[in-house]
Amino acid sequence: MSITTTGNLGPMILQSLAPAMLYVPTPTMNYITVCDKVSMPANGGTTCRFMRPRALQPPTVQLGNSGIDPPAQVPQRDIIDAQMAFFGTGCIINEQVILQDQEGVLAWVSERLAVAMRQAEDLILRDYIVSAASQIMAGGGSNGYNPTNLGITDFSLVATTLDTNNAYKFMSGILGENRFGSGPVRSSYFMLTSTELQSDFDQMTSVGGITFLNQWNYPNNTSALPSEYGNVANIRILTSSEAPVARNAVQNNLGVFNDVYYNTVLGKQAITHINQDGYSMNLIYRDPYYSGMLAQNATLAVKFAQAQALTQDTAIRNLLSTRLSNLGV
Amino acid sequence: MAEYSRLAKGKFTSTGSAQVVNLPFKPDWVEFINYTAAASGADNGVPHAYWDSNMGQGVAVIERFQASNQLTTDTVDTLGITTFSAGQLLQFGPSLSVTVVTKAAAAQVTTSAAHGLTSGDVVILEGLYETATTGMPQIDGIPFTVTVVDSTNFTIPWNTNQSNYTAISIAATGTPRAKKVLYPYLYFPGVAFISAITLGATTTIDTAEAHNFVVGQEVAFRIPSQWGTVELNSLPNLLTPGAPAYGYVIAVTDYNTVVVSIDSSAYTAFNSNQTVASVPGLSFPQIVAVGDVNTGGVQISSGSVLYPPPQYMPIGTTTFNTINGPAIRGAFVNNTAQGFVIGSGVAQGDASAILVGAASDVIYWRAYLHDYSSP
Repeated sequence: MSITTTGNLGPMILQSLAPAMLYVPTPTMNYITVCDKVSMPANGGTTCRFMRPRALQPPTVQLGNSGIDPPAQVPQRDIIDAQMAFFGTGCIINEQVILQDQEGVLAWVSERLAVAMRQAEDLILRDYIVSAASQIMAGGGSNGYNPTNLGITDFSLVATTLDTNNAYKFMSGILGENRFGSGPVRSSYFMLTSTELQSDFDQMTSVGGITFLNQWNYPNNTSALPSEYGNVANIRILTSSEAPVARNAVQNNLGVFNDVYYNTVLGKQAITHINQDGYSMNLIYRDPYYSGMLAQNATLAVKFAQAQALTQDTAIRNLLSTRLSNLGV
Repeated sequence: MAEYSRLAKGKFTSTGSAQVVNLPFKPDWVEFINYTAAASGADNGVPHAYWDSNMGQGVAVIERFQASNQLTTDTVDTLGITTFSAGQLLQFGPSLSVTVVTKAAAAQVTTSAAHGLTSGDVVILEGLYETATTGMPQIDGIPFTVTVVDSTNFTIPWNTNQSNYTAISIAATGTPRAKKVLYPYLYFPGVAFISAITLGATTTIDTAEAHNFVVGQEVAFRIPSQWGTVELNSLPNLLTPGAPAYGYVIAVTDYNTVVVSIDSSAYTAFNSNQTVASVPGLSFPQIVAVGDVNTGGVQISSGSVLYPPPQYMPIGTTTFNTINGPAIRGAFVNNTAQGFVIGSGVAQGDASAILVGAASDVIYWRAYLHDYSSP
């Protein structure tokens, strides 16, 4: 008996493209999520100006019976300016690529450009916050570095600082329910931090009855954001793999290096993202017709305009910390 | 045909130090003419230099005068021509081994090998620990602007000549290191660490790195209690509870010194003599930009462009333009940039032949990014 196998009658085409693209690992973009958003008008110049009135002194001295008015106060204001900047990137794609490739190259390159643009928005905000917001070094941890790893008291200290500064919290609390393992969540500021610290949160030691509460232990998590990892005291924690980290930036007494994390804790209106006339998402396709006499190359590009400002400097702190756990690889 | 190539040219007057040239692209070929050196024909002059990306970073091929009007060829192997793309923070240069940190009003740092730094660069130090009570871990992690003394020495603007600081030597328990912060001023104005405060009818602030403030800048203070002058803090406010109190910059002395409008005559003295034992959890005193009271752009002076862009001041009183358009003075601006640097390296065969030339040399440069490169 003769059996015809692929050994003597092999398939003429050996490969087939799987029907769906693989996903592209992309960090969660937390910084743009917590920003105030402002749009500058067209023809509005280069700079967005914010004005914040200053509080007047409360008149706590009684008038007495003289009939004479007290001296007038002079109202004052604070001015915050931010200059618009433009960003963009693109790809030049030869028509032979478009003609011969089978996987819709223009479609997926367009998608990647859009994601790159959104990620740029987030990274710009991230780095701006590192540059502009004041810092507190964590000291509540136990690892001996300066800053230490995060301890419960660090959360409490930063939340106290923002409360004392009369910052506005983002979230109202979540009442406790009679569900096993759950606990109530306080009204909260946000902390934007690194996914690399998640194992530190998981092993955080409670102090004075305050402890880390995983997001899945909230009484209900309908208000939890997709990147929300949990809550400590008055702070709800959003993690991302693109959070700012200074690698090997500190040593302990034994000369062992550790990374320094910039954990941004902020209230409402602490940072504002500004675009101009909706100039925040321009995807530009130019047909090969516009390139050279043989019209060989198409271009795909994105551009956007962005400025940013700390609009409430009292409502934001970078809580610097190191890490307790080892990193996975 | 050069449909997508980028070409740029320009000129600058050398300061004798590395020159940064911002461009809207990162070139793969750079060349320049030192007009002054070419015109004089004096020994050690470098009238021409060339760099291709395939050579690697920090090198250059040069022509130099080996005697009056007698040209020869040579190379620069370090601190030559370099390209850069400065778009993200928290990037560091190589870790430099530190052998000595002195006790001095401006501490001097010695590295075991040539540090390759230029005055105005920013470094962080780490591993300055000796024992539970000695060493200088109090200044670990603070970004410092360096002033270069020679190839293995630089100073930092911090007074370590105080009782709680012990000079660091190679015998330290830690592993003393210095790292260059690659792009310290991508966004400004921002936050700067305070190294000294002089109290008085106005308050003089010295910072560890360039503050990049301008006259009219509105500022706030964050002074942890162990550093003394907590009265400068914008909150709490005793007179109007809840209202942050700010000061204004009324004079800019130089890159790391400003005078602020606050009368601090009766305030607690500033104390930078922190103990080694205080280090875990030690927060640093900071001055923070919160706004401005300016309504115009950078002042126009002789030789400046009509509408100057925002400027920064990394060292001394020398300012550098960003690539931005004109802005309100004191506005928050973006200083991300790309381009190339002509370094202050010397010719391999003549240590007196400096790539970027001498101060006042006029240099004409061209930069290219080619459509096609093989490889």
